[in-house]
Parts: sequence; structure tokens; C-alpha cells
Amino acid sequence: MEPFVTHRGRLALLDWTDVNTDLIIPARYLKRIERTGFGPLLFADKRYAPGGAPEIDDPERHGPENPEFPLNDPALKDATILVVGRNFGCGSSREHAVWAVQQAGFRAVIAPVPGEGFADIFESNAFNNGLLVIELPQADWEMIAKASHTAPGRAEATIDLRQQKITIEPVDGIPAASLAFQVPESQRHRLLHGLDAIAETMAHEPEIDRYERSAPEWSLPSGVA
Amino acid sequence: MPQTLFQKVWDRHVIRAAEGATLLFIDRHLIHEVTSPQAFDGLRLAGRKVRRPELTYATVDHNVPTENQLDIRDPLSRRQVEVLRANCREFGVSLLDIQSGRQGIVHVIGPELGLTLPGLTIVCGDSHTSTHGAFGALAFGIGTSEVEHVLATQTLWQGARPKSLGIEVTGTLGSGLEPKDIILAIIRKIGTGGATGQVIEYYGPAIEALSMEGRMTICNMSIEAGARAGMIAPDDVTFDYIARGSRPYAPKGATLDAAIRDWKTLRTDDSSAFDRRITIDAGSLVPQVTWGTTPAMTVDITGVVPNPEDVPFASPDDARRALEYMGLTPGTPVEQIPVDLVFIGSCTNGRIEDLRTAASIFRGRKTAPGVRAMIVPGSEQVRMQAEAEGLDRIFTQAGAEWRQSGCSMCLGMNPDKLTPKQRSASTSNRNFEGRQGPGGRTHLVSPAMAAAAAVTGHFTDVRHLV
Repeated sequence: MEPFVTHRGRLALLDWTDVNTDLIIPARYLKRIERTGFGPLLFADKRYAPGGAPEIDDPERHGPENPEFPLNDPALKDATILVVGRNFGCGSSREHAVWAVQQAGFRAVIAPVPGEGFADIFESNAFNNGLLVIELPQADWEMIAKASHTAPGRAEATIDLRQQKITIEPVDGIPAASLAFQVPESQRHRLLHGLDAIAETMAHEPEIDRYERSAPEWSLPSGVA
Repeated sequence: MPQTLFQKVWDRHVIRAAEGATLLFIDRHLIHEVTSPQAFDGLRLAGRKVRRPELTYATVDHNVPTENQLDIRDPLSRRQVEVLRANCREFGVSLLDIQSGRQGIVHVIGPELGLTLPGLTIVCGDSHTSTHGAFGALAFGIGTSEVEHVLATQTLWQGARPKSLGIEVTGTLGSGLEPKDIILAIIRKIGTGGATGQVIEYYGPAIEALSMEGRMTICNMSIEAGARAGMIAPDDVTFDYIARGSRPYAPKGATLDAAIRDWKTLRTDDSSAFDRRITIDAGSLVPQVTWGTTPAMTVDITGVVPNPEDVPFASPDDARRALEYMGLTPGTPVEQIPVDLVFIGSCTNGRIEDLRTAASIFRGRKTAPGVRAMIVPGSEQVRMQAEAEGLDRIFTQAGAEWRQSGCSMCLGMNPDKLTPKQRSASTSNRNFEGRQGPGGRTHLVSPAMAAAAAVTGHFTDVRHLV
């Protein structure tokens, strides 16, 4: 996993609540058995003009974009920080949603409010892939959403995971601002160092062995004990 | 200190807890073809094995065609199924495949096989894993990286222990009302993010009165309120379900007796142990219908499509987008909305009791002209049971299609899909945009309400038909 320490990037805003993982990546694309190629599939049924969604087995083959979709503003082409509404990533557990967000170029996603910004499974999936998800208090989120809305393609922020701080760069009369955020300490540690969770767990193998030996007989499937 | 059911099950499975991170032991790992290929690839790349193949069970459900399971025409669907078969062979995992007589939707077959038991931790790369909480198990959906982690270690990292949300359901469900109406009413009340970061326990007289099938319907949709998991304390109804029937992996004899003694301790000591509590009265419910594009966008069958300014948990802009997508005008009585297609099935409502309820409405009636009705059993066991009871003939005599088991039209991964602007009454769990096929318009209802819409051609208060 690629470590996340600091990142400076352009902001893109998608101010919808309850953006579910079917919207982030429609189910038919889950027939892919690879972990790559998901970038063009992000918001596939919103992002392209009718009939233009990518082929499942050849995502680079797709029709023209739908100019109405907020993220298709040409100014946002190089955005790397996605600002979204509450309960982002709700619904299905598909990790493909995180792969799509990441492979479309985003390093971080910012939602309101602490405890309600992201659906639980999406949040775990994001941390497991090094995509930083940040929940901000409503007023702070509004500040960053306003900068994104006012100066599309020019609004920028720096995210410092060591300090747990977002700095919004001044733009179009919006002054600089510094916002504090918090991610769980264990996740922050893994992200900062890009750690492989499985290798870390295997270091605890004696404890797992001990637990397994204490399991009651009924907890094992009958006939396989 | 009094503890909740959830806290007891969680605490039993903690291997290690430090600095807000908890390593949990996982008793059962269920797998299907969609969210596992990249996990097995990860094992291969790192040269790792499956730590406990005998706790790991796989089936194929999402891609399986329900007209003829053997005829997977889409080459990508076929590849995904074949990749699972190859992975199960290579890593020694049991596969409940097509033609085994035990295939079905992963959340329908776990309980049928006796894999789902009280007090266990159960995970699957599928958000509706919450279904298994109906047995008093702690069961939740995980992503593919976590699937790989569980395969390799039989454990999973979690944060600190989540909060407990107690939902008491009082009263008695009226005639024509179903467990689906209870859970839709709960989501409508607390919102799609109302239980984020929390584990729900459902309790109270209306829950105790339910069969295991009904309890599974309720726990299944916990995720639609954002919950990490949903649970119901095991009782005699649970123990009877596990002891009867052909459940090859369930404990038997003295082991079962010992298990039941243990399971009887899996109860919330005192409702003061919940971090938060809410109550709903089942006796005051009327049948529920979703009108919009989240499961919280729900109204009574006697109600009207709301104004965008009056939609809880959604901004007027969000609500307007939902109305436009659904092709609905505020003020329209729900009973006047016509349907094109009726889907009865899924991990929410594809069990035998759901089919019996639907059949009771179809019996002696015909599907309305122009309406297509698809009845899809949740598993091959359910299909065979329904056929033994003659339910299939009731459906086909009414003009409905009787199909083979799979996820079917709950999500667009197999040939069962809505076409753009086609409107469904569906017993599944998600009315998201495009969920049943791009441009499709989904209304979530109970099996009885779906059957009622099939025979009248529009949403209908099923209480007038029972």
C-alpha cells in the first residue's frame, strides 16, 4: 500500500448526500476479476452521455462525457481531493468503489460530519487501500465545499496526515484556512507507513493459535471438527 | 455492568485489543464469486494459504441466470464463476455449486446448512451479511482486502467496539403486514445513515413473534440504515430452526445441547446497556412502499408522493433528483402508481415463508394485463420445498414466472434486469438508481404487497386482498 503522509491537490465537489456504491460503480462492472482498470468506471452511469458508459472488459472504450455531471467540469480534470456529501459510499460492500475513486486520480475524500460522513464498510475499504477519508464538522466542511464551488479547478488544499490538518489555500477572495481532523490512530499509523495488514496480523499468530484452541466444540461446523 | 447481546458476542471474539484497534476471530467466512477473485489473487502473489478452509464456504449467486442456471451466456459472468471454482479447488474451500442441490444466495444457504449459529462471528464480502444476525450471530459485510485478510488469518481488524442501538418493536403486526414493513418503517424513521457505526439489536414482542425467516428479513436490511450489523437474541424459535430439517453443519446431539445452554446466555442483560434506544409500534403500521432512490424515501401505501421540501434526510435538490429519476409527481397517490414488473425474491425476501405469503395473494387470481411477475427462490432448497408444497403451480397458474435460485433482479449482474424507465415492485433491499438495471425504477415492498401489485397492475393496499 502506498503511504499517505502529506498531499497537496485540487478540490472537486460532488454535493450529493447518500451517494451509494452502485452509483460509484454499477454492479455490472463487478464482473471484472482484476484490481485495476476501474478509473474510467467511476460514476459510469452518470458521467457519460446516454449509451456511452464503458465496456466492462475494455473500460477505455466509452462514449463522450455527460457535460451536466458536476465532476465533468474540464477545470476539475486534475483534481485529487474529492469533497462529497454525507453518507458517501453507502450500500454494497464492493471495494471496487474505492478502487474506482482512487484509480480516477483521487488521494482523499472529505465528507461531513464526524461519524456520519462515510458508510462503515466504504471507510474500512478506503483505509485498506490507502485512500484517506476525512470527516469534518459541518462548518469546516462548508468552508472547503465553498472554496471548491467558488473556484473550480483553482481551489487547492494541503492535507497533512501527521498533523491531522487540512490547509485551504487562499483563492478568489476566500482566505486561507486551517482545519483539524481526526482519523483513528491505528488507521493513521498504517496509512503513514503503508503497512500490509496481513503481515502485521501474522506477527500475532501465537495469540490466534491460542484463541483457536479454546473454541467450544459447537462453534465448529459439524463433521469437520 | 449489564451488557448487550452484541457486546457479549464481540467480547468473546477479541484476540487482541490495543490503541482503538481490535483483532477479532472469525468463526465463519462465506464467499461468492464477485468479491473474492482479487482476494485469492492476493494470496497467490504473497504465497499465502487459506488458514482455516473448513470454516470457509463458497457459493455462486450474483451471476447465475435464473431461467437456466447451467446456461451462463455472458462470457464475463461465466469467467467469474469458473474463477471461483478454480480458486476453491486450489485453496481447498468447499463450494456449494450449481447442481449440488445446496446452491443459493449466500445469505439464504448459510442458515439452511446450519453454518449460521448464535454467538458466532460471520463475515462475507457482501453487505447483506447482516442477515445472519437474526440468529444472534455478529455478522457483517467486508471488502475484498478484508476477505483476503480473513482467508489468510481467520481474523479481522476492527476499530474500538461499536456502539449498541436497541430498537424495540412493540405491539402486533396487523393482517397483511410483514417484517419487511417493520424494517422499512425503521429505516424511514432513522434514515439511511441513522445507525452508521452502530450495531442494532431488535427486540420486543413484535420481534419475538417472528419466525426465523421474518427475523432474517429485518436483520438483512440493517445495512440500509447504515448499521454495522443487526442482531436478534436467540430463543426457542432459533433453537428449533437449527435442530430441525437437514442442516448438515449444525451441531447435533450432546453438542447441540451444550450449545443451547451456552446460547441461552446470549441476551441483553438490561436495556439500559444500550448506548441509544428507540421504539416503534408494529401495531400502528400500514404497508410501506418506497417512492424514491434511498430506502428511507418511504411512504405508507395510503399516502402520496411527497413534495421535495418535505423529504426527511434529503435536501430538496436530492429529493428533486430522486423524483425526476423515478418519473413521479408530488401529490400522486401511491395506489395510483402503475407497475410494469414484479420481482419476488432476493436475500431479503426469497425464503419459503415469503413465497407462501406471496402465493396466498396469487391463489385464484391472475397477474394484471401487461405486468410481468418473476418469482425467484432464494436457494435450490427453497425451490424444492416450494415445489413440494405446490406453490410453483399457484404462481404459474396466475401467469407469474417460476424460476431457479440466484440474486436475480436484486442487482444487475445477471440477465434479470429492468429496462430504462421500467417500474418494478420489488421485494429486494435497494431502490438505488440503476440498481435493477440502468434507468430502472424500483419500489421496495413486502412479498404480499408485491403480489398485490402484480394482480392489480398498480400499488395496492394488500389489506384489502387478504
